[in-house]
Amino acid sequence: MNPLARVLVAELSERPRHFGELVEAHMETAWRDFLLAWGEVRAADILGRDDDGRYLIRAGAVVS
Amino acid sequence: MSHGFREFLRALEDAGELQRVKKAVDPRHLSALMAQASQATFFEQIAGYPDWRVAGALVSTRRRLAIAMGCSEAAIATRFEESIRQPIEPTLVDRAPCQDVVLTGNDVDLTRVPIPMMHVKDGGPYISATLVVSKDPEYGRNVGSYRLMYRTPRETGIDLVSPSDMRVYYQRALDRGRPLEIAVAIGVHPFELLAASYKAPIDVDELAVAGGLHGAPVELVRCRTVDLEVPAHAELVLEGELLPIGWTADEGPFGEFSHITGEVKWNPIFRIRAITHRRDPIFYVLQMPWENDWLAAPVIEAAGLQALRVASVQPVAIRAPVGGCCYWTLVASIKKRPGEGKNALLALLSVAEVKLAIVTDDDIDIDDPDQLDWAMTFRVQADQDVLIVSGARGKHIDPSVRAAAMGKGGLPTTAKLGIDATIPEGVPRSHYERLRYFAKDAVRLEDYR
Repeated sequence: MNPLARVLVAELSERPRHFGELVEAHMETAWRDFLLAWGEVRAADILGRDDDGRYLIRAGAVVS
Repeated sequence: MSHGFREFLRALEDAGELQRVKKAVDPRHLSALMAQASQATFFEQIAGYPDWRVAGALVSTRRRLAIAMGCSEAAIATRFEESIRQPIEPTLVDRAPCQDVVLTGNDVDLTRVPIPMMHVKDGGPYISATLVVSKDPEYGRNVGSYRLMYRTPRETGIDLVSPSDMRVYYQRALDRGRPLEIAVAIGVHPFELLAASYKAPIDVDELAVAGGLHGAPVELVRCRTVDLEVPAHAELVLEGELLPIGWTADEGPFGEFSHITGEVKWNPIFRIRAITHRRDPIFYVLQMPWENDWLAAPVIEAAGLQALRVASVQPVAIRAPVGGCCYWTLVASIKKRPGEGKNALLALLSVAEVKLAIVTDDDIDIDDPDQLDWAMTFRVQADQDVLIVSGARGKHIDPSVRAAAMGKGGLPTTAKLGIDATIPEGVPRSHYERLRYFAKDAVRLEDYR
């Protein structure tokens, strides 16, 4: 996982967040770089969702 | 040749309905900027995407829809109705602008396309202006419009929850354990999008309906990696397949056409095999909810006209107002004979998800909310002129149907309301004679300044 993807995972481990919150926290990152990192988080198959649509790290998910 | 996306942009600009933005814009800001513009917007530079330009909010008003359809705002429904009766089969061409650039294998990367961030609670960036082509061995080609949520450089989510022909095709492929090939064309003329939103019978080719709207065949080209054809003049095409995983992947929320944030849905995944595009591509951002709403208007209004005619009622004008998302509400004026106010209501309420219908006489301008209020105030007795139908088919995204309380897989029902605001039987028309100012045509205010 690239460093930004790891940061995103850490932020989601802290608490569930809307995708827009993650975007807002990284506005200094180029959009394409952000999407590449998000793609890595997605591909890791560790994400869950809460009732309000926030992303979270699933319980027991292994972050490589 | 049929009209293309770029010809439509030119038509908007010629009509003073397109604003050019020259400074570079971050894709995260595209939707917010479009929402502040009173015109359609054309972004000439996109930060981080030097090869791309972006256009959006193209049919966010009835006027711009009328420009797309080449008719007056009042004629939108009849223009659509007449055209769908005269479908023109598409033609196949060998070379196409949409395949100027072909990316396959490791070059497939959605992050190279300026997909915007649209709403605060969206589950990801969305591709909204899609024309999705699929094929079934028995039923043939289908074209619809389905939102795509970015997941990874080669995958998106796709909303395939609502009943549709492509949902049937996908289920049939899934039953065989097979993926369903699809191709997604982005940056096509609104006629193709209108045809896609028209609920044609399953064996009718929507691209022939689009041909009827154009008055000329839609030119198609064969895709490079899937057995499908797409409009040759599209700006961008994504080729790939819906994985045979069923409705298992999270997708959403997304800002729905009901102007409300939707819920997380469970949907299939679209895996992309090839990206093809023009050499100087323009990415089309269909601005929710307005463009989605207005693209529904001709379809719903034409359905209302047809229903009125089947009921032997003579319509004068019909509107699917944007307050009802151009979908849930129909307002019609008619040349009324006794009893036809109620007949008209029954006809209009039979249209798909229409849950509010208002009928009035032909002396009322239904585009004027004040006149409509006046008619509903003085031509309606609530105990005689209001019709309520309970238990009709509803739609999940209408919060008032309380779908959440039904549990997963439940299908909601809705009540429908009809208001007969025509002059009541037995009341002389002279009782509604409007005030007229004495000597109105004899004097002019500017002569007294």
